Amino acid sequence: MRSSDPVSFFLNNLSLFGDKTAAHVELSLASIGVAFAICVPLGVWLGHLHRGSFLAISVSNIGRALPSLAVISIGIGILGIGFRNTMVALIILAGPVMLTNAYVAVDGVDQDAVQAARAMGMTPLSVLLRVELPLALPLIFAGIRTATVYVIATATLATFAGGGGLGDIIVNEPTYGTAGVVAGSLAIAVLAFAFDGLLALVQLGVTPAPLRRQGRRQRVDAIVEASWETGGRR
Amino acid sequence: MSAPAELVLAAGGPVIPNFGGGSSCVVQNHQFCLSWFEHNWSSVFEPRLVEHLELTAIAVGVGMAIAFTAAIIAYKQNWFETPFSLLSAFLYTIPSLALFELLVQVTGINRFTAEIGLVSYTLLILFRNTLTGLRGVPPASIEAAHAMGLTPRQTLLRVELPLAFPAIMAGIRIATVTTISLATVAAYIGAGGLGELIFDAIQSGFKTEFVAAGVLAIVLAIALDIVLVLLQRAITPWSRRRLAPT
Amino acid sequence: MRAVPGSDIKDIPPRAGRRHRLRALAVLLLAVLAAALVAACGSSSNSSSTTSSGTASTGSTSTSASSGSSGTLTLGTKNFTEEFIVGALYQQALTAKGCKINYKPNIGATEVIDKALTSGQIDAYPEYTGESVATVAGINTPVSSPQQEYNLAKAFYAKRGQVMSQMTPFFDTDAIAVRKAFAQKYGLVSTGDLKKVPHFTLGARPEFLNREEGALGMKKVYGVSNFTFKSLALGLQYQALDSGAVDAIDVFTTDPQLASGKYVVLKDPKNIFGFQNIALVVNKNKVNACPGLMSTVDAVNRLLTTPAIIAMNKAVAIDHQQPGAVAAAFLKANHLG
Repeated sequence: MRSSDPVSFFLNNLSLFGDKTAAHVELSLASIGVAFAICVPLGVWLGHLHRGSFLAISVSNIGRALPSLAVISIGIGILGIGFRNTMVALIILAGPVMLTNAYVAVDGVDQDAVQAARAMGMTPLSVLLRVELPLALPLIFAGIRTATVYVIATATLATFAGGGGLGDIIVNEPTYGTAGVVAGSLAIAVLAFAFDGLLALVQLGVTPAPLRRQGRRQRVDAIVEASWETGGRR
Repeated sequence: MSAPAELVLAAGGPVIPNFGGGSSCVVQNHQFCLSWFEHNWSSVFEPRLVEHLELTAIAVGVGMAIAFTAAIIAYKQNWFETPFSLLSAFLYTIPSLALFELLVQVTGINRFTAEIGLVSYTLLILFRNTLTGLRGVPPASIEAAHAMGLTPRQTLLRVELPLAFPAIMAGIRIATVTTISLATVAAYIGAGGLGELIFDAIQSGFKTEFVAAGVLAIVLAIALDIVLVLLQRAITPWSRRRLAPT
Repeated sequence: MRAVPGSDIKDIPPRAGRRHRLRALAVLLLAVLAAALVAACGSSSNSSSTTSSGTASTGSTSTSASSGSSGTLTLGTKNFTEEFIVGALYQQALTAKGCKINYKPNIGATEVIDKALTSGQIDAYPEYTGESVATVAGINTPVSSPQQEYNLAKAFYAKRGQVMSQMTPFFDTDAIAVRKAFAQKYGLVSTGDLKKVPHFTLGARPEFLNREEGALGMKKVYGVSNFTFKSLALGLQYQALDSGAVDAIDVFTTDPQLASGKYVVLKDPKNIFGFQNIALVVNKNKVNACPGLMSTVDAVNRLLTTPAIIAMNKAVAIDHQQPGAVAAAFLKANHLG
């Protein structure tokens, strides 16, 4: 169904956008969920033990460098096409950031606080749960946020692997026309921004008040930093 | 299935030569056919690899030229930072496939369009890192330079830029690796490079090509990352400590 | 990130005019960026040609010649195997006759590549007669022979400013294919029989959904609408059908995979998919770009019988040889390369 401009195309095809967005978000969140379940506990644990710094740094560097389409390509070659297989690729792309952030966050917790807790007779597990994790939460969460926005942007490529999502609209100019391609592109950008904004609010919520910074320059930096993290490595 | 010998059809029909068939690995589309990969390395993979490097080099080079100039201007004229940051941040947030498809409407399906997109994506990282690096120069160094009678331009060239170099290099490194990733997607709009092989594989379903092209792209990205790290350490041995997060 | 307050570089007295010059430079940079954007918008009909020698050909490609200069032809192809092969055949045969070919394979589907043709980004590309009529021209008159289809296409292009070469003997249409067991279970012989299936998934390339010679035609002409459409990047359809991800797929009748016996190709008695012979479509102003352009293309086309194209399709799609190499071997064997 062709329209002359993106907005009317969007309004005329609400159910199409609804379906594609739902598929897109479902794929993204499922991948994030699994990556979170695997990588964050691992990172937290390693950080608690102060072990594996080389592993964490290497995973971070390699993970940052992985070209997303290449990972999807290998996924198709080895696993074939479809939702589940695209998910595996996205998990691989989302994991490193969360792992590294979790590690650095817990590893970097102020050791005075940890020592004090131990001196009070807390078990290592209690120290982890009641001292280290709360202090590490902001940075852990920053990793989740970065990974989520990155996956949402990258899930656009799922269309090439039969994984559905808003990418289906973007690559189908013959059916949806220029207006459709533009509308689809804007939809993904808006989706990415929306999730980033939502998670920024949640992040603000988990950051203890003394650690929050305000100020105009910091806000501009924050915008710049946020979109830098948003785009990430696609 | 053995290939047919030369078939000569009824008078007037074409000669269909023996094209040579394919190994059983290829015909049955096994996971990875090493012999096919080796046989086709120089005609298929190597040219695309070179093309990919060219795409990346041009994008990072042009991006650096623009972002570097902009960062120096922003360093001296603070008002410039916000508009340029917001512009490059805006470009950066648009998912790559979407941006390339939008650009195609304007400049067509070719490598030039791809380069415009790729350069746009490098601007934010390079600008931000260069500016951060310049701003991170200890004021004492600048004062000392002035005390010694250096002009602002000499200070910039001989004191501020060298001290900002680690951050600048970190930016180039991130930009390079990001561009390699984006360039694979750019093949969708005619840029060539390793992404072209991935899209060929999507069209043919040939597993070996999926795996080979994907692995090559990953190896390229990691290799360049390591090379740039080593280069950075070689040129600035005095700064092993981390400045900007790398 | 900020320098320590109080030691700001602005405290140091500037040289006369320096700040003024820098401000001018900043404004100039923004202006240049804006101008570049405007210029890019304005040049949307120009082709900026850099070589993109796709893997579809190992033949020579010319460098940096825009489609305006004489003696050069910018040849494009669509995004699938058969087009790569035919494109490579034309490219090599014409190059052997002294034509300079700027080869741009893998541009996209019909709608995309036709736009590239009319906007001058390319000068010519191989097109299927039925596609020209139904998709490009939007004509839905039922036809009953390849010649009729060709005549309709040729007339349409002539009115619009393009010329068609002679057509190939072979034609390659879309068709719906299902797994053998699936066909047996529901007694499927013709496309219309799909109505008998309670519900099925149909996988095809994205543009198939909206085409008269596609899902739309299936609904309108056969009354088949009991399916969910799954968008598949062109090339993944056999994989999807084999794995059971979809129940039916759109195939090309000259696909070498069909010789395996695993699939049943449903008949199309009402001819919704048209007749699809290939001919080269050239912009009128480039017909004489090279000496003997049309006669060379006609000579190549005469060779393309169904067995020939299927053999070449097999070499590229199953044996994974390079289209350029296969084209070269074929032309050489027939004294045209």
